[in-house]
Amino acid sequence: MEIDKDKCVGCGNCHAVCTMDVISLDEDGKSVVNQDECVECSVCYRLLRNEGYWPWMVRAIRQMLSFFRLGYLAEVDVCPTGALNPPVLEWPRSLRATFSDPTTIHPGTGIYGRGTEEIKSNDVTGRLRKGEAGLVVEMGRPGIGAFFRDIEKVAMALARLDPEFETQNPVTHLMEDTRTGKMKDEILNEKVLSAIIEIKVKLERIPEFLKVLEKVQKEVDTVISLGAASRCLPDGSLPHMEWVRKAGYTLSPNGKTNLGLGRPLFKEMEE
Amino acid sequence: MTNTLHRQGKVRNLKEDYIVFMTTAKGINRDGSGPKIQEFMRICLKYNPVNLGDVKQGNIHQDDIEIQKLIANLSDGAGSAAVFTDLDTVQKVVEELIQADLGISINISGLLDEVQECCRKAGITRHSAEHSLGFWGARDLLPEREILEINTLCGHGMVSFNFIRKMIEYVKLRRLTPKKAARIMAKCCECGAFNPVRAEKLLEKAQKGEFTASGKEVEE
Repeated sequence: MEIDKDKCVGCGNCHAVCTMDVISLDEDGKSVVNQDECVECSVCYRLLRNEGYWPWMVRAIRQMLSFFRLGYLAEVDVCPTGALNPPVLEWPRSLRATFSDPTTIHPGTGIYGRGTEEIKSNDVTGRLRKGEAGLVVEMGRPGIGAFFRDIEKVAMALARLDPEFETQNPVTHLMEDTRTGKMKDEILNEKVLSAIIEIKVKLERIPEFLKVLEKVQKEVDTVISLGAASRCLPDGSLPHMEWVRKAGYTLSPNGKTNLGLGRPLFKEMEE
Repeated sequence: MTNTLHRQGKVRNLKEDYIVFMTTAKGINRDGSGPKIQEFMRICLKYNPVNLGDVKQGNIHQDDIEIQKLIANLSDGAGSAAVFTDLDTVQKVVEELIQADLGISINISGLLDEVQECCRKAGITRHSAEHSLGFWGARDLLPEREILEINTLCGHGMVSFNFIRKMIEYVKLRRLTPKKAARIMAKCCECGAFNPVRAEKLLEKAQKGEFTASGKEVEE
């Protein structure tokens, strides 16, 4: 995000809204974005309505108010002068918006947000089948953000156990080599609000992968939200639960359920 | 919509938080899905969701959104969601969605046992499900529980920790009512997964001094 200094009146509304806390007041009393840390989510631009006031007028009112020792308090969801400007982004910076701005479509998967389907369409895709579990490793969430150099660390650690990286996943598309989990060099210093490493493993290997994550989590400067999924057994029970518990981890009481109403329903070949 | 997987809160809070959403799959049932997604949204709307939206167009709490126009503009592959605050209503929505037989994947985020029971009552067996295994990594970077509880209501992370703190302060100073502050936060979340009713209740707690913006819970 860029801020037009000719328009900015330094009201500070964009500072709190910023998901990465990287907008601050510059020495000149106008807001400035730390471009290294901005993830181009554009929530400031979308939320803060442009009131369209003339900057000179807002500044004059503020000066007048300060003369009487009064403050100027804009409504919380406005940018009084429309100073926020989403820039046209070029590769590799454009990745920041693709992963962080939920209104942007991932070109590889045609999906908004983080660009993944996971179990959401498992009833028709059959991406997770009997005996398999999906592990969804979301880097940077909640609210911290992640550089691809950290995402690479985790991907490489997981790759050593030879998982199946989901092919319809934007992070997989950015790997130089899915056998090693190595990401493309030019993207390592790009930061995103979050990105999901998605792998498929045999159910009985869940503990092994959790052990690796347990170790590598200490090597990254961000948080990780972890999810585990599987296809239900005929009685509706979830086979991944047993393996997660065996590994000593707690499962959340809430989660996501695919009702199985998609058509054509994926039919698994009986072995 | 991994988006909705890691919502935080105690079970009693999660009992008021169900997100019904749909997904289409590229190369399988995405082409021609627009009218089905529109019907999905019409069904959800009938049951008065507390939020409803589509990531491309926004949600019903945003200033310039007209619901009927939003539904009419839903095209192939749109990602739509509706939020409900009780299981009985979700049960009715699920039964109507089964009747409608739209052929697109329908998912519910919420308490897994309750959603499974809802499926049983509706005569279906759930297909797949996903659990959260919590937050890992540099957890010391995370804020206090109540802030996280509101932040995770938008899984895309569009409601920043600082904005939540600001809203808590505004509510305490009575510059905003909890309802108005919750609605402003809901505007940040494009896809409509944010539950403004839960946010409002948390803000009411803050207003009553039951917790502070720094997260310190006041002993009763």
